[in-house]
Amino acid sequence: MNDVVICLFASAGFDKAAQGLAGAGRRFADEMGGRLRAVVIGAGADTFALEVARLCDTVIVADQAELAEYQPETCLTALARLCADLSPRAVLLAGDTYSQEIAPRLAYRLGGSAVGDGVEVRVEGEALRVSRQVYGGKAQAVIELKRMPAVVWLRARSFAPAPTRTEAGKVNRAALDLQADTRTRVVERKREEQGEARLEEARVIVSGGRGIGGPEPFETELQPLADLLGAQMAASRAACDAGWVPPTWQVGQTGKKVTPELYLAIAITGASQHMAGISEAKIISAINTDPDAPIFKHCQFGIVEDYRKVVPLLREKLAALQK
Amino acid sequence: MNILVCLKQILDPEIPARDFRVDPARREAERGSADLVTSIFCENALETALQLRERAGSAKITVLSYGQPSAEESLRKALAMKADAAALIVNDGNANPDPLTTARVLAAAIRKLGTFDLIMVGREAGDWGAGQTGGLIAEELGMPCVSFVDRIESEGGQLRLKRQTDTGWEVLEAEPPIVVTVTNDEHNLPRIPKVRDVMMSYRQPLTKWTLDDLGIEANEARAGNTYYQVAELFIPQKETRCEFVTGETLDQKVESFAKRIVEVTSAL
Amino acid sequence: MNTAEATRQIYWNISHIWVMYLLLLPTAAVAGYGLYRHFGRWRRGLPAARFDRPAERVQLVASHALAQRRTARNRYAGLFHRLITYGFIILAIATTVVALDADFGTTIMRGWFYLYFQSFTVDVFGALVMVGTMMAAARRYLKRPKKLFYTNEATLILAAIFLMCLQGFLIEGWRIGVTRDPWAAWSPFGNLVALASRALMTDAQMQAAHWGLWWFHLATVFGFIAWAPYTKMMHVITAPLNIYTANLAPLGASLKDIDFEKTESFGVNSLTGFTWKDLLDLDACTECGRCTAVCPAHIVGKELSPRDIILQLRDLMHEEFRISDFGFRNDQNKFGNDANESSNNSEESAIRNSKFEIIAAVPATSPISLWQCTTCAACMEACPVFIEQMPKIVDMRRHLVMEEADFPDSMQQAITSLEKRGHPFSGTQATRLDWTEGLNVKQVSEAKDAEVLLWVGCGGSLIERNQRVTRATAQLLEQAGVKFAIMGREEKCSGDPARRIGNEFLFEKLAKENVENLNRHDVKKVITACPHCFNTFKNEYPQYGGKFEVFHHSEYLAQLVDEGKLKPLAGLDKKLTFHDPCYLGRQNGVYDAPRQLVQISARGNMVEMERSRANSFCCGGGGGMSFVEEPSDKRVNQERAREILETGADTVAVGCPFCMTMLEDGINARKGSRDVRVMDVSELLWEAAQPRAALERDPMI
Repeated sequence: MNDVVICLFASAGFDKAAQGLAGAGRRFADEMGGRLRAVVIGAGADTFALEVARLCDTVIVADQAELAEYQPETCLTALARLCADLSPRAVLLAGDTYSQEIAPRLAYRLGGSAVGDGVEVRVEGEALRVSRQVYGGKAQAVIELKRMPAVVWLRARSFAPAPTRTEAGKVNRAALDLQADTRTRVVERKREEQGEARLEEARVIVSGGRGIGGPEPFETELQPLADLLGAQMAASRAACDAGWVPPTWQVGQTGKKVTPELYLAIAITGASQHMAGISEAKIISAINTDPDAPIFKHCQFGIVEDYRKVVPLLREKLAALQK
Repeated sequence: MNILVCLKQILDPEIPARDFRVDPARREAERGSADLVTSIFCENALETALQLRERAGSAKITVLSYGQPSAEESLRKALAMKADAAALIVNDGNANPDPLTTARVLAAAIRKLGTFDLIMVGREAGDWGAGQTGGLIAEELGMPCVSFVDRIESEGGQLRLKRQTDTGWEVLEAEPPIVVTVTNDEHNLPRIPKVRDVMMSYRQPLTKWTLDDLGIEANEARAGNTYYQVAELFIPQKETRCEFVTGETLDQKVESFAKRIVEVTSAL
Repeated sequence: MNTAEATRQIYWNISHIWVMYLLLLPTAAVAGYGLYRHFGRWRRGLPAARFDRPAERVQLVASHALAQRRTARNRYAGLFHRLITYGFIILAIATTVVALDADFGTTIMRGWFYLYFQSFTVDVFGALVMVGTMMAAARRYLKRPKKLFYTNEATLILAAIFLMCLQGFLIEGWRIGVTRDPWAAWSPFGNLVALASRALMTDAQMQAAHWGLWWFHLATVFGFIAWAPYTKMMHVITAPLNIYTANLAPLGASLKDIDFEKTESFGVNSLTGFTWKDLLDLDACTECGRCTAVCPAHIVGKELSPRDIILQLRDLMHEEFRISDFGFRNDQNKFGNDANESSNNSEESAIRNSKFEIIAAVPATSPISLWQCTTCAACMEACPVFIEQMPKIVDMRRHLVMEEADFPDSMQQAITSLEKRGHPFSGTQATRLDWTEGLNVKQVSEAKDAEVLLWVGCGGSLIERNQRVTRATAQLLEQAGVKFAIMGREEKCSGDPARRIGNEFLFEKLAKENVENLNRHDVKKVITACPHCFNTFKNEYPQYGGKFEVFHHSEYLAQLVDEGKLKPLAGLDKKLTFHDPCYLGRQNGVYDAPRQLVQISARGNMVEMERSRANSFCCGGGGGMSFVEEPSDKRVNQERAREILETGADTVAVGCPFCMTMLEDGINARKGSRDVRVMDVSELLWEAAQPRAALERDPMI
């Protein structure tokens, strides 16, 4: 069968990732002449499914009590069964924590092959090829998957959303006889205060790096700047490793992949691992004392100055211009 | 408690981008001037294991690697950080095998090494970054798996795992045996070994196996491409010219900069 | 009166002389015991080879123990100290003469010798001793310089010396007065006492007073002699001994080597980890405080105090080494031989090796202080008795780094980067060949006819500002027709930062690799623009088989100018000053070559800072400190920047990549709106060697 299945967690909400995933799924399914089906799990899956149904041919809802909150083993078992039943050619997931965690194991259970962080998916005759960044963002590889189904998690936000169907797809409830696998159980969850929007959804991002020098300037200098611009805050790995900001702020190869309209990099060198997280940003701009810093090679505009001198003045200017 | 940590030795990922070259025919990076280092998440994993042992009072930590003979250096460094035992499976086939191959080889070696309560790998390797090995080892061994862990504690016979999520963190309780993939955090930066320990590490025994010793399909492992293969590898050319704001004074420069920002953001 | 018979009666008015001889015994015993204790303590240190080249050592003792050249750097202190020293020497000779005549039947103190020496010279010097002690007391108690150590012992010593001389004059005067000594005029001060006393006292009173004071004086002097080894008066013995056993190599070669195979413990965290020479250092300290007074870290308000390190370790040594432990030594033969294998007897080992951990327990050697040292060696240069403070700090760093892996995070990053990438600049995106862009520079594998190797160094290749210095140097060499080559990517850090931070293991690894590479390419002559590389190559690589002729680039360029191969044209019409790099100047004695280059540009408009040459004030970058964030109000580089700005110079010339970075930062922080450049001497020479028109087209600045 040439169907494509997309897997969504209801808890994530119908965000840009979900839309991008559906878009990728639709194009892919069309290319292969198959249908686009969605599997939605978790509490609130049935309401969520209604929105998804506008983009897919069928939606399967699994909102059993055991799946209400994400538990790794139980959710994996459920998804594996549901996907096996659908016999797809490909299973697509977004790039969130849970999807990344599940994808390889899902591929194993379905007898297929997985690959992650895909930015492009192509059908070449019989083969499925996925492009992704490797070597810390310094190179690009095209991976050919050898076993079916192909399980791919994507940088979903950088894919164009799917066209809304004139007629919504069918929503079915899955009949799953599920037993909770309690070998692992989530006992505590914490959401960091990140304001209303999530970093991956942000359209403007203010980000700080090693050159900031400590935790205070993030709070006293950069945060007010972000507030003025309606931006989300982020940081490079160096700042997170130093404990200056929470790890959820980390953008890069092993952090968030962001797709803002404007990414303002303050005192960030621009090592390829960081650039790997912002390669889909529309406009990158930097404040850095070193004119030869690699970040500038990716910028449309920048200023070579000490951020400590620029940022307070910049806030003044922006406040004046915004009036 | 018996802990096993997998390590991968890779080319130093922090060489300047200018010096990075790939061999399109062999579809791998060129060695060039890069040194060989242990992938950072593997070191985070080892550090997390060492801290767990310190908190728990005692544990045996074994380190394992599947790679070239030079990977012995990474294992010795782990011994210098006070891991207790080390084993190397020498790769005489595809130097960049697919994740399932790696997982199968490692799982076979793990079975040979004994029973473990906790198996730890880095969340992804610093070179190919597939991020699959941990999950696939768990499947091979029939164990549960939790990813992106940055801290582990043991309580009674259970493990408490703290792991990072997109929005914050979660704590999971887990029953050993379990596979865990580890990510970086301000608290699990790898410790610097004492020089004495570095010297002693060379005198410790290190088990070496070939693929034939493991009781798996050795030739299939050597091919390393039944799961997926690299069809192309290249360095994308990116041409962007940065416009540096000009001005006689700081004030003027920042004024120009502010204007450019407003240009971009007002269109949103 | 026949001058040939001039003399005096020894022991006039004194009988029962046997009491004096008797009292000699407890005096000698107490003093001897004191000396034995010191000696026993030093023996507990590790071996050190400090008895070679005796002729040079004697020369050092003559210059510094006798002539006291370093003490005299402070003119006032030098004067009074010399007066006291020479006075004592003269008095000692005089007393020996008396003893010889009294006990061995010689007749030395007769005639002209008696008059000129025994009477006149001795009187004058005795008075000078008193003048000296008064000068010393005035400084100590009126001026109160902060660097002195104020103890009751110090006061007592000064008082005792003064008193002994005064007593001497009184005794002499009363003898002269009562005996109506015909040669009185030859003892002018004694004579003064005699004349004054005769006016105030009767003969009988003088005689009685003489008798009483003579015995009291005996008690005072014997008491002083017995007491001396328990006080800082011990420096009379330990100072010349310490100077004799000083390190004859340049200051840059002060650090000890470690044999990793044989050493039980890396670095020092207990007194027995030091060598006997280190322990002798502790006892040689005269508490003068000059080391701390010149320490750049201390001057900017940090905790580090070399004097306190030495004195607190000294006190610890006195407290901790019990006489019962003296039987245990660290090896068979202390002086110059290697240690034997350590004993398998762990109990003996435990007693032998003092377990008192100094780093955590002694305040002056707390890690905070240890990590403030820039290894500039100003302390060693200032010390009048040649104590080696800085190597002890590095010894303790070695323990923290190699035994405990406990050292500042920023230095850890530098070390990790050195291990992985062969350079300390973690995170840099520069490569070793970036600076060669547009230049025709050959690597050593291609240039078979190269005469000399240009060793670029990590700073010179990976720090953007310093790449310009390397370019200037390379272009000057090319202009002069010198066939040179570079190591290119084969170059690894010389290892200096690793060594100074305390990771001797890593240093050895880097040194061996570099030496192997250099020898493989048959390198004989090396030029480098970095004084740290210069020092390492010159003083530290030979023992790894690296025997090269090493030049600092200023030396080589100055030579080229002398030979006419470089013809600098114009000066700059700017006011220039020069900052001596510690590792080039104080530690290796190169002061003039860089100045020669600066003078070319200055055309007479060069101004010297007060703290220059051997007294240069560190830029703050050595010892791994350039990798550390210092508190903003205690920055060594800003203090030096202040001094530079005070000269009014428009340009400060430097000869080191660390100085370049540190001083640019420091000056930027302090210069306000003034335009002050920091330029390497090679950049200045390059400017001077260009035709004016070319310079305007493409300024190096």
